[in-house]
Parts: sequence; structure tokens; C-alpha cells
Amino acid sequence: MELHGYTGKILEIDLKDERISVKQEKEEDLRKFIGGFGMNCKLAAEYLKPRIDPFSPENVIILGTGPLVGTIMPGSSRLVGITKFPATGAIANSCGSMSFGFHLKQSGYDHVVIKEISDKPIYIYINNDDVRILDASNLWGKDIAVTTDYMWKHYGSCSIIAIGRAGENKINGALALIDKTSTFGRGGLAAVMGHKKVKCIVVKGNKGIKIAQQAKFLKKYKSFIERVKNYPHRPSWIELGMLRSLPVGMILSAKGEKKKARQCNEKSYLKKMKKRRIACPSCPMADKDILEIKEGDFAGLICYASSVINPFLMFTIDGLSTYNEAIKIFDEINRNGLDGLTITSLFDFIGRMHSKGLITDSDLGFEWKNDFETLKSLLKIILNKEGFGKVLAKGWNAIVALKEEFADEIPAIKGLDVVFDPRLIRLGTMEFEQVVNPKGAHVASGGSPTYVGAGGTPDKMRRHFDRMGIPKDAQERIFKPPREAMGINVGRLTRYAEDWYAVLTSLGLCARAQMNRFYSLNSVTEFYSLITGFDLTAEELRKAAERSWNLLRLLNYKEGFKRENDSFPNVWFKTLKYGPNELKIYDYYGTTLITPDIAKQLIDDYYDERGWDIKSGTPKKEKLISLELKEYI
Amino acid sequence: MEKNVVETIKINKENCTGCRICQMICSLTHFNKISLKDALIQIDNPYDLTFEIKFLENCLKCYLCVDYCLYNALERIEEEG
Repeated sequence: MELHGYTGKILEIDLKDERISVKQEKEEDLRKFIGGFGMNCKLAAEYLKPRIDPFSPENVIILGTGPLVGTIMPGSSRLVGITKFPATGAIANSCGSMSFGFHLKQSGYDHVVIKEISDKPIYIYINNDDVRILDASNLWGKDIAVTTDYMWKHYGSCSIIAIGRAGENKINGALALIDKTSTFGRGGLAAVMGHKKVKCIVVKGNKGIKIAQQAKFLKKYKSFIERVKNYPHRPSWIELGMLRSLPVGMILSAKGEKKKARQCNEKSYLKKMKKRRIACPSCPMADKDILEIKEGDFAGLICYASSVINPFLMFTIDGLSTYNEAIKIFDEINRNGLDGLTITSLFDFIGRMHSKGLITDSDLGFEWKNDFETLKSLLKIILNKEGFGKVLAKGWNAIVALKEEFADEIPAIKGLDVVFDPRLIRLGTMEFEQVVNPKGAHVASGGSPTYVGAGGTPDKMRRHFDRMGIPKDAQERIFKPPREAMGINVGRLTRYAEDWYAVLTSLGLCARAQMNRFYSLNSVTEFYSLITGFDLTAEELRKAAERSWNLLRLLNYKEGFKRENDSFPNVWFKTLKYGPNELKIYDYYGTTLITPDIAKQLIDDYYDERGWDIKSGTPKKEKLISLELKEYI
Repeated sequence: MEKNVVETIKINKENCTGCRICQMICSLTHFNKISLKDALIQIDNPYDLTFEIKFLENCLKCYLCVDYCLYNALERIEEEG
């Protein structure tokens, strides 16, 4: 049968025997798990035995594209990676973009599974049917930008997932970069690559993708693109990128740091650092940044960033005084394949613990001055795993074990540092989802109308819920929170935020708010049918997403994760001193202080909405059977 | 004497984001598949600072790439022939 959108092929690479094979996907599985995230979960269930060491030959890296990837479908460049992550011990997913997914699909593969370990540094080269494992001894030790540039020079237009020293040295939180821009694998996917001795994966594909119903697709595509083009805020999105979504200057102003706020306002960004806007293939809402420091210290530095807000968020912590320092240190972090969010959290945490005398200069091996030089010293001991850096390189689970007092101070969930602190921006689904996500603190799967600045009246909420395909009866339950004044039950809503995320991520569509705002469950179902020729209903697509999420949860139950792992960090219940402000955790509308009891109720409600056992937090047998997952119990 | 005016495409390289929609719409419309290799407009090293946009000699001048470019990297202009 000729496939459209899908290639129907899984590329399996065994690094030990240097054996490359191609497996065929079953049409039944494609309908059941859709692709991308969903099929990756299915493959994880097949390839990963429970309770293996993330740093063992048994761990695998699974890369996946959805059926819309490699096409012209707007925002269809999502790549999904699944592995057993060293920072958390969870089997989880991570997404990246740029052009890897596009080229992989164009090469003729929906998925890649990387097994076993190489005994020497290698890189994987995929060029349509030509797949090779090649020597990377000359690249081992080189940074990500150098590695990527080397490959671009050597192979021309292609896409590269590369790791830096952090991945090579198996630092638990190491991540990879795609095309030296898009972060991929928060929580240590790059460390797993490093353990397997895979320096990078290069892909260059040009087989072409056919559309099942081309004429109808083009008609619908044209009207869709017109809608995007006419979106009144689009020009400012393109001009400002993610800064349009999260004006970091406002956060700094709230902190009382006006001078720093001015350095990262729109005018400063446009005049002093924006070099070029770049987009993933097919994206009409480009938001990736090439930055250039145009004056002052480090003038001339070119930095590729997933978005300008990444270096700007580093700037919100005490210690850095100029945006130049923030971009410079972010560039170092990127090149080495560390996680900027984790380093920011660590820097803040150590600073606080140092001021309390719980971490000393003698522990660190250098004088803590809470400045740019201190941050550089911190990077050095982590990257080299020197002294205290050995513990820091293992991540939050190892740090919390050092001192009893740390338990109330650690800003992490399941070993990953919190991205969005609800004390700063209240408790929406993105903040809550960090608690229940199998991966740990991570915000990508929690998008909903509670996204910062997006919410509003119940009517506005309902329109957004309809778009996400939330059934009407569930919407009524979502409007019944533990306390009436809260308005919204983020526990119940999170289940549907995750399902919507799983729909988009299985299809291969971008989940960023500025792109997914143009989609609805009904419209993506129609596009899916036109591209693949598979006649699925919106309900079947939503159910496939729910099935995949349940399977991922089940896999992590087998890893030993239970209800107690889904806990609000203690630090969230403490007052956050933020400049002149004293912030506490409030519900989305800011009416109700979230107590541990309310937090527990929200988690209960989340499980209830999922059809999971409230006591253990695991999917009930009847739920798994209804989702046709019996064989995985 | 009347001047001959012809329509042509102006490349605003600095606006290109490397989204490749131009290449995809070209290959899908003219070759019934989404394929960068087959497109009659080519972009080399789209994420580099030294990227190149060029039209192949057999370009059909259908202007679909211009119409679908969302970043004003391609522009339809009139030139004296």
C-alpha cells in the first residue's frame, strides 16, 4: 500500500554491531498511535525494559516524526525524542524543531531507534537510503556550534543534532541542540547520546512527500495561510519573536530592577542584539533568533538561540548586570550543551544557600561573589565534574540528598528544575502540569487558555476549550474548582491540555501558543485525513492521544513512579521574596491562596479526570482496556 | 519611444527566515510532491549568515513562491526590459 504523509519505516541502528536495518510499521499501529509522540511511546514500550540504568547499553534513543512532518503544513517540524532520562529516571519525551524532523521524513523514515553503545566516538549519517556510522574522533571535545558548522561545511544543507562537552561528560541535565538553535532533550538526552558515544546525527533527505488529496489539501492550505497572514498581531510576532509572548522586562520591572529591565525591552532587543529571524521548515510564525552583541563587552559575538527570552531569563537572576553578560554566558551554555534553565536555577539556589551558610566557598572550591565570574566558575566545575561539580552534574536528586535543609528549598520536581514558578505567574495548567508530568518539571505539555496573559472570561475559556476538543460534560467539571472563587479547576483542565499537546505532538505540529492558536481538533483532523488519506474522526484522534499518554504513564509506573512523586515542591508554599514583593502561590484568577490541601485536591481531580486510581496515581485496568492497551498491563 | 516593462522577482535576502515554504509550494504544485531538490527555487544554508537564494533556469515564473512567501523575502516588481 502506498503511504502518504507517513513513510511507514523505522530505521534501527545498532551501535555495537554497527548494524543498520529498516522495519515496517503496521497500518493498524499508525491509526492507533498516529505517529511522533504516540508511536514513540509504543516503541518505548517495545524497546525499553523496566528499571534499566539510563547509562546502560539497554537504554535506547527513539526519534520520531508525525505524519504531517516533512510537508508544507504550517508548523509541522516537530521532532520527538524518547529515552530513559538520567536526570529523573523517567521514560519521557522531549521535543525539538528546526529541520531535523523535516529531513528525516524526507529521507524516508518516520522513526529512528538507536540501540547499544559504540566503543569509539561516532556520528550517524542519514542520507535517504545511505545510512552510515562514521568516525567522530576529530569532533569529540568540540562544542556544538563548531560541530554543526563542520557538518554544514562538509555536507551542505542538512540538519544536525549535536552534543557538547556536557553530553560527552554525561552530565545528567545535558541537552542537545538541533541546527545549533533548538534545544532538544532537557533532562539528559544528550548525556545518553554521550554515553553511546554519538557526537551527532546528520540527516539530509530529498525523497519527497506526496499528499493523498493534493487539490483539496492545497485549497484548505491556502485559506489557512491567508488566516495566519491576516492575523493582526503577526507582524509584531515576527519582529519580536518570543519577546512578544513573554516581555522579560516586565518581570524585571516587577522586581524593581528598572535599569536591567530597560536593557531587555523591545527597543534594546531590536537595536542592540537582533541579527536575523529564522524559522523551522513550513513555519509562518518564525521565532528563532540569531543574536549579535553589537556594542560593549563581547561585541561581535553571534549567538543562535531557540528564542531571545532564554538568555533574557538568565538575566532575571541576581548576579548578571548587563545583557551582554547574559548572552555571552548563554552562548557558553549552549555551545557546551548544558541546560540554561537548570544553570539559572542552580545559580540562584547556590546563591541563596551560600548566604545562609549551607553551601560554603570551601564546598565550591572558589569564592562565591554572585557575579558573572562566579557563574563562569560554576559552569567550569560542572562541565569538568570537579569537586562539588560532581554532585551538581548529577542534578537535583543528588543535591537534595546532601543536606536535610535543602528539601524545603529545592526548586525541582522529580529531579528537574521548575520552569514556571506559580508564585510569579499564578497556578495555570503550565505550572500545574510540571507536577504531574512523568518527566518532571517541564512546561511544554500544559498549554491552555491559562497560559500567562491568554486567559479571560469563562466565555473566552469555553471557545478555547472547544478548539482543543474538550467534551462539553468535561467543560462543566472544569468550571467546578475546589473553591468556587477559583473559577477554573486546573487539575481537571490539565488532563485535556496534555491530550491536546499529545494530538499536536503525535501529528508533528508545533505546540507553541502563537502557532497552535490557529488549529482546532477538528481542523487538524481534516488536514490529517487530506494528507494521509486515513479517514479518522476527531474523537479517534483525541483518543489516540489519550492512549499514548496513558501508555507513557504506565511505563513510568513500571519504573517505580507513584502518586508521591507528583507533589508540589515544598518551596512553592513558602513566600518568594522578589525585589520589593512578597509572593505566594495563588490560583489562576488570583482569588485563592493555594494550600497543601487544595493542591492535593487538584491532583486528585486530575487523576479522576484521567480515570486513574486516586490513591496510587496509576491508570485503572478498565481505563487501559478501554484504550486498547491491555497487552501493556 | 515606449519602454518595455517586465515583471520580475526581487529577492530581499535579509527577510528570508529559511522556512522553505517557497520551495515546498513550488515542488508540490509543479511536481506533485514536497521536495526541496525538485523545487525551481533553491536556498542554500538557510540558517547560516551567508545563505543563498537562487532561481533555476527552468523556473516557470508562476510567482507562486512570491505569493506564498510570508516574510517578504520575495517580491514581485516591474522592471524596464
